Amino acid sequence: MVAILSATLFISSSIQKDLLNTLEDQPDFTVQKYKAGKVLNTPNAWIDEFLEIKGVTNVQGRVYGMHYYDTLETYFMIVGVDMYEPQVVDSLETLIGTIDIDKFQSRKSMIIGAGVKEFLDEYHYFEYYIFRPPDRSQEKVYIYDSLSRESGVMSSDMIIMDINQARTILGVEDGYVTDIILEVKNQDELQLIKEKLIVSHFNVRIIQKSDIESYYTNLFNYKGGVFLALFLTTLLTFLIILYQRYSMVWHVDSKEIALLRMLGWRIKNIIWLKLGENFVVAFSSYMLGVIFAYIYVFVFNAPLLKNIFLGYKNLSNEVTFAFSLDLSILGLIFLAFVVPFLLAVIIPVYRVAITEPSEVMR
Amino acid sequence: MIKIKSLNKQFGSDKDDTFHALKNINLEIADGEVVVINGISGSGKSTLLSILGAIMKPTSGAVEVDGNNIVSFTDFHASDYRQNRVGFITQSFHLFDAFSVKENLFAALSLSNLNAKEIQIRVQNATQIANISHKLERVVSTLSGGEKQRTIIARALINEPQIILCDEPTANLDRENSLKFVEIVKKLKEMNKIVVIATHDPIFNELDFVDRVVYMKDGEIE
Repeated sequence: MVAILSATLFISSSIQKDLLNTLEDQPDFTVQKYKAGKVLNTPNAWIDEFLEIKGVTNVQGRVYGMHYYDTLETYFMIVGVDMYEPQVVDSLETLIGTIDIDKFQSRKSMIIGAGVKEFLDEYHYFEYYIFRPPDRSQEKVYIYDSLSRESGVMSSDMIIMDINQARTILGVEDGYVTDIILEVKNQDELQLIKEKLIVSHFNVRIIQKSDIESYYTNLFNYKGGVFLALFLTTLLTFLIILYQRYSMVWHVDSKEIALLRMLGWRIKNIIWLKLGENFVVAFSSYMLGVIFAYIYVFVFNAPLLKNIFLGYKNLSNEVTFAFSLDLSILGLIFLAFVVPFLLAVIIPVYRVAITEPSEVMR
Repeated sequence: MIKIKSLNKQFGSDKDDTFHALKNINLEIADGEVVVINGISGSGKSTLLSILGAIMKPTSGAVEVDGNNIVSFTDFHASDYRQNRVGFITQSFHLFDAFSVKENLFAALSLSNLNAKEIQIRVQNATQIANISHKLERVVSTLSGGEKQRTIIARALINEPQIILCDEPTANLDRENSLKFVEIVKKLKEMNKIVVIATHDPIFNELDFVDRVVYMKDGEIE
């Protein structure tokens, strides 16, 4: 029980930490052109318009999209980057800082996430991969580098390439971007700027950072439902163990307790003895459970349980969980496991101890 | 000195379901006396011994040991009495089977404030009397019936109690081991212990060191 709960805790903490990191990296606003309920490519001209709004510090057009590989029903996330412009997203800025841009631009190149790399390696695309854009042409793009696993859940299925290259592969026309991102200096002005954006273009869809946060939370809650089912099953098992332990005291330990009483042990001596014995058992089980969960999640990368949290048919589940731990929850598991376990022992022990030894031994 | 006064023990509370195990028992046992309580199964021998050992409360009456009524003892004093004043030798081998002979003796000693040397002397004395000193490290589950019985005797003697209570001590022993037990009782008599033996084994009836044989029937002394 401790192992399953701890493993779940390790996984959820790791994902939460990663999502929070990703969220921190998100721009204040993402603006998309929206028409008849459909998201369209956004005109580049909007960028200059948004720059004129007071309080907006940084505006950038993004080109990105999913590239579908139907053989394995798998998506790659292509992100186009203008290598010569400062990036709004900090992690991209850091990444591009490490690249030799001239070498990168000397031929069609890309940087791939760890999940993509594993996938391409499996199909022997060690040097390049040939994309099929919507115009049925072929785009041979060389692998410049791959992102490490530590870069987290959200980047595992990501491919980063030059913005124009991405336009070609994703079929985004010149003069258009997928969306526009904005940074705002004063966070108190977010609502005001949102209103100005709506006024400037009615056919606009604005995604705020808090919307993304809500989305992640909802996503996590949905996974939490699956976890709840798992948790209830585990809890039921634990209750059966408690009942079994309770019965064992009555049927097995009662003779031992009566014998100790016959030898002059007082009720409190027996309770302390049983408390000590069972605390050692409970604490050892707890520690073993936590250690087992640690190895399961951070060494073996949580087979089976990982799929509950990340889903199956997406490269993004090809992640390595970075160590993250909430000690208060681990403490809560300790209390939720050890205290009921000790009570399940101490209550029958007390009841046996106060019964006349002759009656128990008969 | 043990004085049993008007002792009654009744099991069950319903009128139709009550059983009078002891009926108005009066008995005095002097220091150093060996008393055999004889009677068939269900005559009340074991119940009487349980009350003498403070592991059972009577329905009414008193049991005075050196002037103290053990029936009115609190749990604290009753535990102290069981630890230091009385030793039990039971027919069933009530031992910790997974432990060694020595560890079983320690279970009876663990609450005493003796130092290591005193414990060693106690273990040595008790196991010599019980003739089990050569099996100290053996796990109880590997011992024969006679050896288990001698372990129980050593444990009963380890706290050097004044009173030894034996409940059907030879019920699970063959004749050879029963005779060995008789020899141990003789030694206890020489040590001036009060020994009360509840039995229906005729082997105890003709022993010269037995001071009295008390017959019980249907909860009463005949």
